[in-house]
Amino acid sequence: MKRTRWLILLTLVVALASIASGCGGDDGDDEAADTAPVGDTGAEAVECSGTVGIMGPFTGDAASIGQEQLNWAKFAVDTFNEENATDFVLEEGDTQLDPAQASTVAPQFVSNSDIFGIVGPAGSQEIEAVGEIFGREGIAFVSPSATATDLTERFETFFRVVPTDADQGPTDATYMAEELSAQKVLIIDDQTSYSTGLADSTSDALEEAGVTVERESVSQDQTDFSALVSGVAGDTDVVFLPWQIAANAQLFGNQMAEQGKEAVIFGSDGLFSPDDFSIEGSYVSSFAPDITGLDDPAVQELATAFEQEYGDFGTFGPPTFAATTVVIDAAYRACQDGEEPSREVVLENVETTDFSESILGQPIAFDENGDIQDATFFIFQIAADGSYELVQ
Amino acid sequence: MEFFVQQLVNGVTLGSVYALIALGYSMVYGILKLLNFAHGEVYMMGAFIGYFVLVGLGGAASPILPVALVIILMFLAGMLGAGILGIAIERFAYRPLRNAPRIAPLISAIGVSFFLQASALLLFTAQFRTYNTPELIPFSVGIEVGPLRISLVRILVITSAIALMIALWLLVNRTRLGKAMRATSYDREAAAMMGIDVDRVIVATFFIGSVLAGAAGVMVGLVFGRVFHFMGFIAGLKGFTAAVIGGIGNIPGAMLGGLLIGLAEAFSAAYISSTFQNLIVFGILITVMLVRPSGLLGSPVLKKV
Amino acid sequence: MPRIGTDEWVAQAETRTEHYRGFTAPARRVWDRVTPGARFALFLAVAAAFPFTTDSTFLQRVGVNVLLFALLALGLNIVVGWAGLLDLGYVAFYGFGAYAYAWVSSSQFDLHWPTIATIPAVVVASALLGVLLGLPSWRLVGDYLAITTLFFAQIFVELAVNLDRINLPGSDEPLNLTGGPNGIPGVDPMVIFGIEFLRVRDYFFLLLVVLALVVVGLYSLNDSRTGRAWRAVREDPLAAELMTTPVNRMKLLAFAMGAAIAGLTGTIFAAVQVGVFPQNFEVTLLIMIYAALILGGAGSIQGAILGAIVVASVPEILRTPENARYLFYGALIAVLVAAVRPWQRLAVLVGAAVAFGFAVHEIVALVWPDGVEAGTRGEGLGSLLDSWVVLPAVERVLIGNIAFVLLIAAVLALTQLRRDSRFLLLVPTIYLAAFVWENRLVFQPSVTRQLLFGAILVAMMTRRPHGLLGTPRVENPV
Repeated sequence: MKRTRWLILLTLVVALASIASGCGGDDGDDEAADTAPVGDTGAEAVECSGTVGIMGPFTGDAASIGQEQLNWAKFAVDTFNEENATDFVLEEGDTQLDPAQASTVAPQFVSNSDIFGIVGPAGSQEIEAVGEIFGREGIAFVSPSATATDLTERFETFFRVVPTDADQGPTDATYMAEELSAQKVLIIDDQTSYSTGLADSTSDALEEAGVTVERESVSQDQTDFSALVSGVAGDTDVVFLPWQIAANAQLFGNQMAEQGKEAVIFGSDGLFSPDDFSIEGSYVSSFAPDITGLDDPAVQELATAFEQEYGDFGTFGPPTFAATTVVIDAAYRACQDGEEPSREVVLENVETTDFSESILGQPIAFDENGDIQDATFFIFQIAADGSYELVQ
Repeated sequence: MEFFVQQLVNGVTLGSVYALIALGYSMVYGILKLLNFAHGEVYMMGAFIGYFVLVGLGGAASPILPVALVIILMFLAGMLGAGILGIAIERFAYRPLRNAPRIAPLISAIGVSFFLQASALLLFTAQFRTYNTPELIPFSVGIEVGPLRISLVRILVITSAIALMIALWLLVNRTRLGKAMRATSYDREAAAMMGIDVDRVIVATFFIGSVLAGAAGVMVGLVFGRVFHFMGFIAGLKGFTAAVIGGIGNIPGAMLGGLLIGLAEAFSAAYISSTFQNLIVFGILITVMLVRPSGLLGSPVLKKV
Repeated sequence: MPRIGTDEWVAQAETRTEHYRGFTAPARRVWDRVTPGARFALFLAVAAAFPFTTDSTFLQRVGVNVLLFALLALGLNIVVGWAGLLDLGYVAFYGFGAYAYAWVSSSQFDLHWPTIATIPAVVVASALLGVLLGLPSWRLVGDYLAITTLFFAQIFVELAVNLDRINLPGSDEPLNLTGGPNGIPGVDPMVIFGIEFLRVRDYFFLLLVVLALVVVGLYSLNDSRTGRAWRAVREDPLAAELMTTPVNRMKLLAFAMGAAIAGLTGTIFAAVQVGVFPQNFEVTLLIMIYAALILGGAGSIQGAILGAIVVASVPEILRTPENARYLFYGALIAVLVAAVRPWQRLAVLVGAAVAFGFAVHEIVALVWPDGVEAGTRGEGLGSLLDSWVVLPAVERVLIGNIAFVLLIAAVLALTQLRRDSRFLLLVPTIYLAAFVWENRLVFQPSVTRQLLFGAILVAMMTRRPHGLLGTPRVENPV
């Protein structure tokens, strides 16, 4: 009995001694990784810190979209911090695209006084749920992916770096009607708010151009599209897929080829993902040129650095990088002016954002509603080797 | 006519996959009266294991072994991995609840399902993975039936599903283990009194059920190409539906239920409308349930009074 | 809890409390003398004080979510816990209530009924829907009923998503019933007796009042002939029918009451969220309600409320990375304290684990300098851990992933080993757990949240299969 006690005592003493010595701590130095400059940020580096909140579907069935957005946001924060010796932090709020969860996360961010601005939420329906909350508090929130047209009018503190359905629909429709001389187009939406909004907008534009339009709709969870594909009429010229998940479109395209359907696939910007969607001869539209195909070496370095750390990416990532940079830059400008990056100041600065260049290959500035100005759409065609070639 | 045959093939392919998942549900239910909601995640892990084996062997574009061998290895790895996972789930999450009310293991299963989904997100990230089957087996390879061409991949899936189901039937009806499984599902206590090692039988049941789910996962990867962390949830719901439709606890019933759902999905999407496909399928299934309240092949529950 | 006559209850107080042991015994004796009514009143008082303890709208919203869950769990309790009918379509009633409120209180059809009229109308409509969807229970039992009701839930979501362009034969414009994937935003706030409910806090109190009324109603219902009839139907429908219980009508009544409560909760939910969207009513929500009910103990009112508190608040607690870390290490320590006895063994274990950690840290620092890195989150617990846990600077994700898989394997192995080898394996396992946390999990708070929640569910169910407040029941083996 006594021996056990001594044994225990000895162990405790050894443990305490280790703690005491270990607490001296060894410091390793963080190796600063080499990354490209993100763009001009101003004359001198100024101390600045604060938290950016990000809301999106980081788990659940839309996690492929949310995780890509999250990784690019983290990348944006890290890159900016290294560039400008600042101390910004990212805080996550998982919403699983559910407006109920979004409206629970929103007050959490609001009560966190460190948060001066928000990136996201990702889905238009979430913005309906949180728009009032953020508007009341005067917090800027910049979405990288919500395209429902009227959102910027209804919510004052809402901004977005992507153009709306009202921009993309007519562009795609015009291309299909004129360049592709389509007589009959089948539009299949995937029952999400992004998809139905864009499908409606494109369908209206096509009908105005005198093209016959057929509508179908399919769930994102669908395992197999063969039955749907076999229902594609033989005289259909173009199948328009305003889908969010590129892998679904790849399967659809494979099954079209399997069944010998000749219609060409035209995808919206949700399908812009060279790794996931590479059906030869298909068209994809995007509001920004493929950043890996851009001439700008700075953007190329960013893309490469991102791929090294996080892996492949598709279409939702770079806009999130842009959105995060907009918010952080707004705070940084406040610091440069000698002010605290409070929510009002950040909101004002976001409104006056004026990047001459960005990762999206175009300048970023907002109009009075909060939409991005001068958004152009680019159309790509997929070549035999899977690469995307700009055709318009 | 070809259109009809085309949909038939589509439906049978889909149905075979659902049937394999449903078999796992039915078997476990038969023995433990437990609905294993984590079964879908086992299927998902099988698909991922198959994917990593494929990538490890050089990927779809340039495999270092002959294609047939690659596919066999993918199946074996997926099935074995899924089987081991199934055994681990049973031991950790269900065995302590052997004598609990029927509804308690449901929540444990749900917890396991959340855990596995999140683990898949953590380990494999949220990216969609694809087996890139057209590179492995081009579309042009297949059987011609008139003007219709059925691709080799689908034939492969259907035949291996049938082979597995036949193997299962033989196992359950012609081997001692099968006899033990049937006895345990009939009356667990009496089986124990007859000298059957109930624990071993249960482990074997989980293993076999999970092996089938793993095979289904690899098949889905081959035919439908998309492997992602959430696929188990959706397929699990459908497999569970198929198992109950066919009469839960009944093995041929599970196969039939799976086929029914697959065919219903294919035909309703092709002939009626893709938009309302799910609604139509649910309508069909509700009608089936109301007409045959114990499932297609289920026997009415006899109550001892 | 069977209700005995009050004097009997008092008379048996001694026998009931004499077996309480330990240092909590006096508190438990006092608590035992408190009647259930008083306990509930105490709970209500504490809950009512809650919104005043914090300014954070987030916490108030979490409180609202907890109460919504509690009401849903109580409604489900009627169907599943009392009448024993496995209803997997419950969220359809919740959604129907929410959409119905939206139809009459928004610009969708330009109807703006007063709330005094809306709530009863929606409740009655939900009850009718409950009767309709409960009809299959006449023919189907057990899992077959479950699957059919699950279809109803899925049909509801499908309809909600697709009914925004119904082409009616008589008119040109397609009818937009549900707003499709975009839902119906901008519903009116509730106005009852002139009181406008605008803030989250207002809805918290409204929900509390509703909860109190529902609980009182359910409690008296449980003690009445109806409650006894439901219990009879649950235990043995055939015998119940022989004893002239109108089994079919009782089943419909259970469905109807459950649906009514769900519909009522739905209306308040729509008002809180200021909108209704199809994504609110997916199968995932159904799973969470079931988890709440069963975790708390199906069949008891207190259990439903407790389960709802746990299921609605734990994921929110886990949202903050700091809290998640404390929860993780706290749970680790709690598990060790509970599982390793006597306390001397525990002390040796902790000491050994700490020593092991430092040893590994030093060895790795010598052999592979890249394996050790500067601090993670610098304050308090974080900085202490920096010198204990190995933090690789390179290949962190890959090493973290491998360690995660090893950790799972180790934990599974632990369940199979006996005393001494289990003790030996426990030491590196503890270190591995901390390693995985600091290197991998802490950087993925959203994923870790789901991971921990799943683990908590499994752990709670395996420890207490009857639920936290449920009573052990013996089920007839089939």
